[in-house]
Amino acid sequence: MRALIIVAAMALAMPAAAQLGNPGFVTPGTPQSAPGVPAPNHANTQDRLFARLLATGGAAEVDFGRLAGSKAQSEAVKEFASRMVQDHTKANGELASLANAAQIPLPGEMDPDQKDMRAKLESATGALFDLTYMQGQVIDHQKTVILLQLEIGQGQDAPMQQWASATLPVVLNHLEMAKTLLAELAAQTPQAASAPVGTVPQGAPLAAPVPRERPVQKK
Amino acid sequence: MARCTKATSLLAAAGICSIACLIGVGALSVPLPPDTTYRPLPTRPLSAVKADDEAQKPQVMARQSDLLNQRYDLTNRPIPGVMMSAAKKPVQGGVRVKLPAGVTWDSLAAMSPEEIRQRGLLPAGFLPLPHVKQATGGQVFPDRQIDEVRRQEDRDLRRFDVNFDLPDHLTPEFPPPIFLTTQPHLGDVSRGQLLTIKNFYELMNGIITPVQMEGLRLLLTPFPQEEFNQTEDRKVAGQSMGVTCLDCHSNFHTNGAFHLTPDVRPQAARFRLDSTSLRGMFNQQIHGSKRSLRSIEDFTEFEQRTAYFNGDHVSATRKGVHLPDRPNQVAMMAQMQNIIDFPPAPKLDPFGRLDHAKASEQELAGERVFCGKGRCSECHMPQTSFLDNNMHDLKLERFYQFGRTVNDFVTLPDGPIKTFTLRGIKDSPPYLHDGRLLTLADTVEFFNLVLGTKLTQQEKEALVAYMLTL
Repeated sequence: MRALIIVAAMALAMPAAAQLGNPGFVTPGTPQSAPGVPAPNHANTQDRLFARLLATGGAAEVDFGRLAGSKAQSEAVKEFASRMVQDHTKANGELASLANAAQIPLPGEMDPDQKDMRAKLESATGALFDLTYMQGQVIDHQKTVILLQLEIGQGQDAPMQQWASATLPVVLNHLEMAKTLLAELAAQTPQAASAPVGTVPQGAPLAAPVPRERPVQKK
Repeated sequence: MARCTKATSLLAAAGICSIACLIGVGALSVPLPPDTTYRPLPTRPLSAVKADDEAQKPQVMARQSDLLNQRYDLTNRPIPGVMMSAAKKPVQGGVRVKLPAGVTWDSLAAMSPEEIRQRGLLPAGFLPLPHVKQATGGQVFPDRQIDEVRRQEDRDLRRFDVNFDLPDHLTPEFPPPIFLTTQPHLGDVSRGQLLTIKNFYELMNGIITPVQMEGLRLLLTPFPQEEFNQTEDRKVAGQSMGVTCLDCHSNFHTNGAFHLTPDVRPQAARFRLDSTSLRGMFNQQIHGSKRSLRSIEDFTEFEQRTAYFNGDHVSATRKGVHLPDRPNQVAMMAQMQNIIDFPPAPKLDPFGRLDHAKASEQELAGERVFCGKGRCSECHMPQTSFLDNNMHDLKLERFYQFGRTVNDFVTLPDGPIKTFTLRGIKDSPPYLHDGRLLTLADTVEFFNLVLGTKLTQQEKEALVAYMLTL
């Protein structure tokens, strides 16, 4: 994990290799450093969308991670949350400077999904909190993996694309950790812990219990 | 096992339930950008795009050439005395994937997948092979196909943004021979020519039925395709009539043309696909490396939106999709494809096993490895045309850190891929679904590592000798 972060940092320090993109989709009027190669820091729509979505996601990661650091029941979840705060704080700073160079204003508040998740996390406690946090982490990292691929393939700001390439293995590693941890939690957690927050009392069955054995059919 | 399955089911049920409660209406308010799935509309005039693409082309080709040379030995080194089925091209020999410094094939095979991953020792030639230009992708034809179609039809298959990337000697012979299940006594019926819309009637009249003839005509009729069409979003200079099914599957075999899988998004993660041969489709129960289409009719019908338009029916509609009529056109195209036979394999008996009276000792030894220690026949079953009609996940990602970007292509796990036939395999380089392996000797080293079979050098050589008889 640490090695991956170092790789990402090294990539940032290197001059950005321009992607050999499809000139058919380049924003008209973009200055070029070579024919078909957009000059650095001239963002297209995908760069802008990517930076804004990733910035809100990254800020939420840090916010949720801090909350989990104080509320999580499981030590493993606390450790994961601490890693998220550490890694995403660093990544958020890197993204902010890239966005600043490309003159992309970043949003200052969470998007509606993240606000919804924040509310769920605030109201959940104990094992239900851990499960809700980790479920959210899996989904958020899945989305981030897709966004990074979008930037690598369809962005045009070379420094930002280079950063996305260096960051993707780290995020895939986060996703792998989150999936593993979620599977462990799900195996330990009573079914009701996964009920919609505030609708089913803790401990109440969510659905008919799954029979242990399939009934033997007699002919 | 039963307990494991039950636990998995419970986990899956809990997961689905939990995710459902998390997603709800709120999550739908911030979907991912549409360009993660859909093709964006072009933004600039074709003349400007073409000028930029042409200016960039030398750099694109140099980058791909560097990658190929780093990964492979691309020299022309045929196996003495071994030709492809029409005797037009020799079969290339030797392991072409380059080893990392400090290891041998045997020392690598002795390591665990974890050690190979941690030390970064998986030979780069075993990794997914990038398309020559990932950001654009699309069908790329070899020069021989381009030249012959231009000569016969005056139709242009040359792209202004990219060229074909592999040396000619590492691709199938051209034009390939055609063998028909309905006319086994005739042998190759191609008369040494490439089937096109101009000559098919003359070549096939008297050999195939009227229904098959009509199917063949449709398979040779150009229809608009993502990079070859009449809109500004194309990569061919003139307004194009499009491509035909047999532009990739030359003479129902393959010419090595490649494109990107239609089945994956976003664009950066779509892996390269090497055109597969259509020989022996009559015995094949699933079609498409990822799609597992269940009939030749489904394959024929759906390719108009997949091979032609990358699984994007929206783009297809804009550029002029051809939707063949299922009960008539599709059925006829399928009937034509269903009579394409494998090339003769005189050393095989009716059950796909070697005839001891005809095979050499080395070939017989190779068959024993194939059906035993090498574990090849567990998927490539001799009695069913070396198919098992299944998809399998080799989990190559055990051996490397995935997620790295190589030439704008994000290397991710391939997941399950269809078992391809090995009948006539010497005619079909390069190998694997993306063509990442250049010779049969490469495939032996690849599977020796992936399956952990620890074959000796003698066993590896016997296996190659055996595969040349198929």
